[in-house]
Amino acid sequence: MDCGTCETTPTIELNVPDEVDVNLTMTDKATDMLSEAFGDDRSHALLVGVLSGGCSGYMYDLQIVESTETPCQELNIKGYRVLVPRASSHLLDGIEIDYVDRLMGGGFKISNPNASASCGCGESFA
Amino acid sequence: MFQHDAYILLLEGESILDFIDGLSTNHVAGQCSTIFTRANAKIIDVCEILPVGTNVAIIGYQPFKSDVINHLKPRILERAITIRDISPNNDVFVGPVPEELPDGSTRLNSFMGPMAIIPKKYEIQGSWDKAEWDEFRIVNMIPYHGAEITPNVHPYACGLEDLVHPNKGCYIGQEILTRMRSRGRQGKTLVRRSNPANNATTTGAHESLCIERTQ
Repeated sequence: MDCGTCETTPTIELNVPDEVDVNLTMTDKATDMLSEAFGDDRSHALLVGVLSGGCSGYMYDLQIVESTETPCQELNIKGYRVLVPRASSHLLDGIEIDYVDRLMGGGFKISNPNASASCGCGESFA
Repeated sequence: MFQHDAYILLLEGESILDFIDGLSTNHVAGQCSTIFTRANAKIIDVCEILPVGTNVAIIGYQPFKSDVINHLKPRILERAITIRDISPNNDVFVGPVPEELPDGSTRLNSFMGPMAIIPKKYEIQGSWDKAEWDEFRIVNMIPYHGAEITPNVHPYACGLEDLVHPNKGCYIGQEILTRMRSRGRQGKTLVRRSNPANNATTTGAHESLCIERTQ
């Protein structure tokens, strides 16, 4: 197979969507759970990202991190650092993070006005 | 061998097999065939996945190329992945492939059987015409793009159930395919019928391939 070179076969333009300033809200329940997770330590942040895949094409990715190499917008939500990757900002603007306390299917839940569809478990959206 | 109307996209970057695995029906951990499907489980394209050093080549059907690119592009997000179209540099052949291939050629097993990727500079011509390829496909029940494999069918309907991994987690279209399998309701399937055959997707001299409702 002839793979060519960057000169003979240039990369396909990816048309990356414009970055938007993310507006993100968190319910009191979600804040309470973050308080339990972080304690008094404010050196860590909640990374709210998006991965490709899942039943609907995109999956939410929540992590507690100290820092990340991914270029992010840093928000302060009720005293907590929240990081949103710039490349996913168009998918996450306007989301609300809630926490659902139940034995099955519980945990952090994201309500996303940009999602046209989501799968049953709520982890994936389109 | 028959010259396949193929495209080859070369994906460069990190964790590309994981990226493809999350978006297609088969378990993608190395060279394999897999299917990109829409949310309604209809086919976008059936592709060969071929690791090339640290990169990965996706080989699919030329008329479906833009649909695949449009499927992949918005999902790259912050992954450092680039896509190059190396189709103009290569010819792709399917069917019985000669033992001896020119230097720089690649031989692999595809869902259509043996496949050879030969640098365009050798100007190799296919030894089979479309009719000979179709006869070979009918005998071996091989679905082909544009005939059995179209955007209107799901993988089970065109004989590609082996490319739908039974235990794999979420990907686009998975919920529908899993429900069809678990309930034993595939709807339509690929069959071979003697001529004259109604609603043939590929018509041969004596037999044809058809997609028929069986349930």
